[in-house]
Amino acid sequence: MTDQRVERLAKLLVGYSLNLQEGQVVNISAPVIAEPLVVELVRAALAAGAVPRIRLAVESADHAFLSRASEEQLRWVSPLVTREAETLDARISVIASWNTRELSDVDPSRMAARSDAAGPALQTIMERAARGEINWCVTAFPCNALAQDADMSLADYEDFVYRAGWMHLADPVAAWRSFADKLNQIAVRLSDVKTLRMVAEDTDLTLGVAGREWKGSYGTHNFPDGEVFTGPVEGETSGDVRFTFPAIYSGREVEDVRLRFEGGRVVKSEAVAGGDLLAQMLAMDDGASVLGEFAVGTNYGIERFTKQILFDEKIGGTVHMAVGAGYPETGSVNRSALHWDMVCDMRGGGEIYADGELIYSAGRFLPEFAPDLSPPDA
Amino acid sequence: MSDDVHSRLAALVCRYSLEVEKGHVVLVESPAVAQPFLVALVAELTDLGAHTLLFPSLESVETVILSEASRAQLERVTPVDELAVEVPDRAISIWCESNTRRLSGVPAGNQAIERAARRALYDRFFERAAAGELRWCGITLPSDAQAQEAGMAQADYRRFVYDACKLGEPDPVAAWREQAARQDAVVARLGQVSSLRIVAEGTDLTVDVSARPWISADGRENMPDGEVYTSPHELATEGHIAITFDAPFNGRMVSGARLWFEKGRVVRSEAERGAAYLQEMLAVDDGASLLGEVAFGLNAQITRATRNVGLDEKIGGTCHVALGRAFPESGGTNASSLHWDMVCDLRSGGQVYGDGELIARDGVFL
Repeated sequence: MTDQRVERLAKLLVGYSLNLQEGQVVNISAPVIAEPLVVELVRAALAAGAVPRIRLAVESADHAFLSRASEEQLRWVSPLVTREAETLDARISVIASWNTRELSDVDPSRMAARSDAAGPALQTIMERAARGEINWCVTAFPCNALAQDADMSLADYEDFVYRAGWMHLADPVAAWRSFADKLNQIAVRLSDVKTLRMVAEDTDLTLGVAGREWKGSYGTHNFPDGEVFTGPVEGETSGDVRFTFPAIYSGREVEDVRLRFEGGRVVKSEAVAGGDLLAQMLAMDDGASVLGEFAVGTNYGIERFTKQILFDEKIGGTVHMAVGAGYPETGSVNRSALHWDMVCDMRGGGEIYADGELIYSAGRFLPEFAPDLSPPDA
Repeated sequence: MSDDVHSRLAALVCRYSLEVEKGHVVLVESPAVAQPFLVALVAELTDLGAHTLLFPSLESVETVILSEASRAQLERVTPVDELAVEVPDRAISIWCESNTRRLSGVPAGNQAIERAARRALYDRFFERAAAGELRWCGITLPSDAQAQEAGMAQADYRRFVYDACKLGEPDPVAAWREQAARQDAVVARLGQVSSLRIVAEGTDLTVDVSARPWISADGRENMPDGEVYTSPHELATEGHIAITFDAPFNGRMVSGARLWFEKGRVVRSEAERGAAYLQEMLAVDDGASLLGEVAFGLNAQITRATRNVGLDEKIGGTCHVALGRAFPESGGTNASSLHWDMVCDLRSGGQVYGDGELIARDGVFL
C-alpha cells in the first residue's frame, strides 16, 4: 500500500517549496530507489501545470564510472547539464541510496575532480537563484540505506523523516509559514551584528558578519528545514572549532574534526579518523579552506544525529558551518567546488555572543532575543 | 554469471555494433530496471574513453505522464530536449519492460500527441544518423514481463535472448561478422530479383522488388538482429498471406491474421482474434493498407515466437511484411503513421521464388 505521506510530501514540495507555476520546467533529480516519491512529484508537478523532466541516478553505474574514468572523463561536463543550469525554472534533488558506502573506495581526488568540473553549472544555478530565476530544493526519501546509517528500522526512519518535515500536522504548510516568520525575525536581529563568537567544548571561534545578510531557511531550498545562516566575512574567521558529529563526504566519515582558523583560512586541521580526506578536500581549491556558511540549526523536531547532513544540520540546538562555496544572497564572495557542512552540538552548554552580548545558550536563543521555535505540536 | 553476460553484451554493442571510440559522447536511454546491465555498459564505455550520458527511465512515470498531462504539457519540448539529439555521437536504447501492458489505461490520443510534438526531434536524430554524424543501437534485454508474454520461465527466456545475441558463442563479434557475411550473400542474390513470390500454407504472395535495394540488418542497429529487408513497389503486390504468429502492436494483439492484396492494397482481411483492430489500423491512413516492407528473418539462434515483434521478425526461416511506412533507404515511398510487422513462417514447406526460380526452401536460402 502506498504511504500517503509520500503524496503529501510531494504536494508540499511542489506547492510550498518550489512554488511551481504553470509552464515552468522542473527537473526531478533522484536515485532510482526514490521511485515512489519521483512518481508523486511528477504527478504533483503536472497538477500544477508544470513540465517535469526526470533525471535518475544509478549509484552502482556511478561507481563504475568513477573508479575507471580518466582525468579527462572526470572533468568532462555534459552540455546538457550546462543547458539545464541555464534554462530550468526549478530543480528538486532527492537524497536516497541503496548503499551509502557505494563510493567509499573511490579515490577522493577523483571525486574532487568531478566536483570541480561541476562547479560552473552549480555556480550558474546559484546565481540564477539569487536573481529569482530558478527555485531549487533538496529533500530526502526514507530508504533502508539511510535508515541503516541512522541506526533505525525503515519504519522508524520513515516516521523520523516525515515528523522532521511536520507531515503529521493537519496543515504542515501553515506551520512552515509561521516558522518562516519567526526565522525572519531572528535574521533581522542578526543583521545588526558585526562580530559573532561561538564558545563550546574545545571551541572558541570568532567570525565577522558585518554587512552580511542573514537568511531564514524554512523549507524552500531544503526540506525538511530549519536554520538561520549567513556567509561570514571571508578574511575574518579566527580561533578553534571542534565538531561534535562526524563530517561526512560522499559516504566517508571524518571523525572528531578540529579546525583552526587564522585570517579567515583553515591553518590547521585534525581528525581522529579520515584526516587525509579532510586535508585533501580543504586543498581542493582556493576557496575550500574558507568558510562559506555559518548557521544555527532550529528544527526542534529533529533531535538525533542520523549521519545525513540534510537533517543533521537542522537539529534544533546545533551550529554548523561549511567550508567552501558560500551563498551569494548572503553577501558571501567565497567560491569553491566544495561546500562541506560540519555540525557542532550546542545543547550541552554551548554559547553564542553577538558583539559581546550572550544571545544563545545551551541550544536555544535567549527568549529576549528570539521567539520560541519549539515544534508546532509541542 | 550474470555479470559476465552483461559485460559480454556491453562489449559486443560498444565494439561491434557501434564501434565506440575515445571521446565519443554516448547517450544511453534505458528503463532503470536494467541497472545490472547499465553498470556493465558504463564500465565498458568508460574503458573505451567515451563520455556517457545515462538517462534511466521509469515505466511508472511514463504512465503517469501519459495519463495525467495536459496537451500543453505533452507537447512541450525544452531546450534540453532539443540539445539531447544534437550532442551524442552514439545512442543506445535499451528495451526492457516491467509490464508490457502498462499503457492499457492510457488515453490512446495522448501517445499520438506526444509523438507528434517530438516528431521534429526524431527527424533531427535520424537526419544526423543519415549524415553519418550519429549511430544508434537498440538492445533487447530479457525481463520477467517479456518472459511472461513469451510464456517462458525467466531462466529460459534469458538464455533465449542472450543466445539470440550470440553471446553463447566463444567470440560473439566473430559470430556476428559471419552472420553479416551470410546476409550479404542473401542480399546479393535478392538484389538480382525483380518479382519475388512467397509460397507457404495459406500464403501465395507476389511483390515487385525490382531496383529496390535490400539492406542487411546485421547487429549494428539492433541487438539481437538478423534480417534482410527492402520496401516493395507500392502498387504491385498481389496475392494473399497468412500471418503465422501473434502480431502485437501498441500493446494490442492480432492473432491468425490473413491479408489479401490487389494492386498493392489490402482488399480483404481476416483474423481469428483482433479482426476489428486490424481493420481499424488498415484504415488509419491511406498508406496503412500498402506494404512498406518485405523481409527475411535469418537469425538461426531465434527459433520460436515470443510475442515480441523485434525478435519474432528475426526468426531464421521466416519472412515478414509490414503494413504502412516504407524505408526511404530502400527506395520505398509509402508514407503512413503505421509500421506494423507481421511474420509468416516458411520453415515447414515454404518456398521463395525469384523471377520464377526457387531461391529458398523451408526458409533456407539455396
